[in-house]
Amino acid sequence: MRAHGAGAEDPVSTEMVHAIIDDIGALLLFTMILIVAAGQVYRAIYAVAAQSLLIAIAGGVLAAATGNIDLWVIAGITLVVKAIVLPSVLHWVVRRMNVRREVEPVIPIAATLALAVVIVVMSFHLSASLGTVRQAITGNALPVGIALTLTGVLVMATRMTALTQMVGLFASENGIFFTAMAVTQGMPLIIEIGVILDVILAALVMTIMVLRVRSTVDADIADLDRLRG
Amino acid sequence: MAETLLWVLPLVPTATALLMLTTRDRRILSALDIGGSTVLLALTLVLVRGVASGGPRTFGVFRVDDLGLVFLLLLVVCTLAVSIYTVGWLKQAVAVGNMKGESLRSYFVLVHAFVATMVVTVLADNLGVLWIAMEGTTITSAVLIGYHGHHHGLEAAWKYIIVTTIGISFGLFGTVLIYAAAADVHAGAGAMSWSAIMAVAPRLDPGIVRIGFIFVMVGYGTKAGLAPMHLWLPDAHSQAPTPVSALLSGVLIKCALLGIIRFQTIASAACGSKFPAEVLLVFGLTSIVVATPFILAQHDLKRLLGYHSVEHVGIVALGLGFGGPVGTYGALLHVMNHGITKALAFFAAGTAIARYGSRDMRIIRGLLAVAPVGATLLMFAALSLAGVPPFSIFVSELLVLRAGIGQGHFVAIAIFLAMVVIIFAGLLHHAGAMAFGQPAATAGREAEAPSPLLGMLLLAAIMLLLGLTIPASFDGLLRRATEVIVG
Repeated sequence: MRAHGAGAEDPVSTEMVHAIIDDIGALLLFTMILIVAAGQVYRAIYAVAAQSLLIAIAGGVLAAATGNIDLWVIAGITLVVKAIVLPSVLHWVVRRMNVRREVEPVIPIAATLALAVVIVVMSFHLSASLGTVRQAITGNALPVGIALTLTGVLVMATRMTALTQMVGLFASENGIFFTAMAVTQGMPLIIEIGVILDVILAALVMTIMVLRVRSTVDADIADLDRLRG
Repeated sequence: MAETLLWVLPLVPTATALLMLTTRDRRILSALDIGGSTVLLALTLVLVRGVASGGPRTFGVFRVDDLGLVFLLLLVVCTLAVSIYTVGWLKQAVAVGNMKGESLRSYFVLVHAFVATMVVTVLADNLGVLWIAMEGTTITSAVLIGYHGHHHGLEAAWKYIIVTTIGISFGLFGTVLIYAAAADVHAGAGAMSWSAIMAVAPRLDPGIVRIGFIFVMVGYGTKAGLAPMHLWLPDAHSQAPTPVSALLSGVLIKCALLGIIRFQTIASAACGSKFPAEVLLVFGLTSIVVATPFILAQHDLKRLLGYHSVEHVGIVALGLGFGGPVGTYGALLHVMNHGITKALAFFAAGTAIARYGSRDMRIIRGLLAVAPVGATLLMFAALSLAGVPPFSIFVSELLVLRAGIGQGHFVAIAIFLAMVVIIFAGLLHHAGAMAFGQPAATAGREAEAPSPLLGMLLLAAIMLLLGLTIPASFDGLLRRATEVIVG
C-alpha cells in the first residue's frame, strides 16, 4: 500500500484499509466454510452470492482508499455479475431441473471441512514464508485468496452434482479476484473485464450442457462415467 | 507492415466466422473455411519474413517474436490441413448422420472462433490477454467436443470444461502473483506485459515468482495435458469430431506449452534457471511414465492417440527441463513435429474409423487391403510417433536425449529411454495389427475420397521433409526462438 494511498485527502488510512481487508478476508473464509458445509445446492448458491458481495465491498473499500477509479468499475461489475446474475442463473437452473437434490459428496462433508481447515492453515503458513512479497499485496489478501482458490477446487473434486461443481468454480475465481484487487496497482481494467467475460461465457456453456444432458438422458452431467481407461 | 499484421491476423478467422453466418450451404461454408485458412497461412508467411528481417514487433497487447512464430506456423499449417480434410470428412459424416446438415454453420463458425482464440494466445504479449484467450479456447472447444450431442461427447465436454477451467484459474492466480511481483519493482501499466516483465525480471522477488510459476505450471499444464492433470485429455480428444481432435491435439496443447515457456523465461531470469527446469523435468517424466501403460492397454484408437499426446507433451517438457541450446531447440522442434504428426494421425484414424464404423482396434483389421493410401499414411504417422527414422519425431527426440546426456541427467534419461522403447513396441503392435491381416466383412470397400487424402498428404509431406532435413530458414527461426528462451 504505497502507490496511491499517501494523499492527504484520503478518506481512509492505510492501517484501516488493512484492517477492513483482513475482516472481509475472515468473512470470505466463513462463507467458504458455508459452501463446503452446505447440504443442499441452493444453500451453496446463496453462500457464493454472499461471497461475491463481500468481494465487491472489498473492491469498493480499496477503490476509496487508493483513488483508483478502475477498482470502482470492477467492484460494480463483480456486484452485478457475480453476486446477482450468476447466482440467479444457477437458482433458475435448480428450479428448472426441479430437483432439490443433495449435493452428493464423494467423501463425508465433515472430512471435506477438515481438509478445508488444513488448506487454510497451509495457505497462511505458505504466505508467512514470503516476507518481502507481502508488501505488494494488501493485508492478508494473499493467504485468503490462496485458501479460497484451493478450497474451491476441493469442493469441485468432492461433489458429484454439476451445479455444486459450478459453485466451487465460482468460489475459486472469487479467491483470485480478491487477491488481484489487493495487488498494490490493481489489475488493468481491460484484463479484469476480459476475465469476467470469460467467466460469464463459461457459465453459459456449462448451463447449456447441464440442461442438455438432463433433457436427453435424465442424468446429472457430472454423474456420467462411461469414459474410462 | 508487420505491426499491422499483428492485429489483422486474429481478425482473419474472426471475419471468416462472421462471413460464415451468412450462409447455410455446405459447399460455400467449406470454400470459406479453406479460403480463410489459406489467407491466414499466407499472412503468417509474410509476418515470418518481416520478423526475420526486422526483429520482434509490438502492437498494443500483441507482440510477435521468433518463439511465437514457431507456434503460429504450426497453428496455421494445421488449420489449413484441417480445412481441406473437413470437406471430405463432412460429406461422409453427414451421410451417416454423425453431423446434422442444418447445424453445420455453427460448427464451422465455432471452429474459426476456436482458431481465432488460439491465434491470440500465440500473439499475446500481455499475460492477462494470454489468459483470457486461453480460457476462450476452452469455451469454444468445449462446445465443439460435445458437438455430436450424444452423452459420451457431453460427458467428455463437461469433464474438459470443468477440469481445464479450474486448472486455468490456477494459471490466473500465478499470473496475478507474478504481476504483483512485477508491479512491486516496475510501477506502471506495463507490469503485465511479458516483454516489460522480462526487462526487469532479474529484480523480481524470487519467492513470489517461484510460487507464481508453480501455479502457472499446474494451470497451463492442465491445458497442455501434462500428467497428473491430463485426466480430461483422452476423453476430450477421443470424443471430439476428428478435425477438432486434430486441432486440440496438434495445436491447442502446444499453445498452452507456449504459455508455460513464457513464464519459464520469467522464472529463469528471476530465480535462476535451475528451479523452473526441475519443475518441468518432474512434470515431463511423470507424463511419459503415466501415459505408457494406458498406451499399451488401449483398444480405442482415438484414446490411444490421446494418451500419446500426454507422452509427447511430456517429452517437450523434458526437453525444456534439460534446457541449454540443444534441449530447448529439440523441444521446439518437437512441438512442430508432434503437432504435424499428431494431426496426421488423427486424420488417418478418423477415415479408418469411418470405414469400419468402430473405434475398436480389434475390429479395424486389414486396412491396407481396403484403403491402401490411408493405411500407409496411418502407418507412417504411427511409425513417426514411435520415433522411427527417417520421420521427424526421431530427430527431435534424439536432440532431447542428447541434451539430457550432455547435462548429466542420467536417471531421467534412463526412465525416458525405457518408456520410449516400451511405447515403441506397443505402438508398432497396434499399428501393424490394424494395417495388415484379413479385413472384416463389415469394412467399407468404397474408393478413398480425394479431400481427406489431400489434407493428410500435405501434413505427411511436411513430416517427411522435417525428418530428412530441416530447411535453413526454419532452422534459423528455431535458433532465434531458442535464443529467446535461453538468452
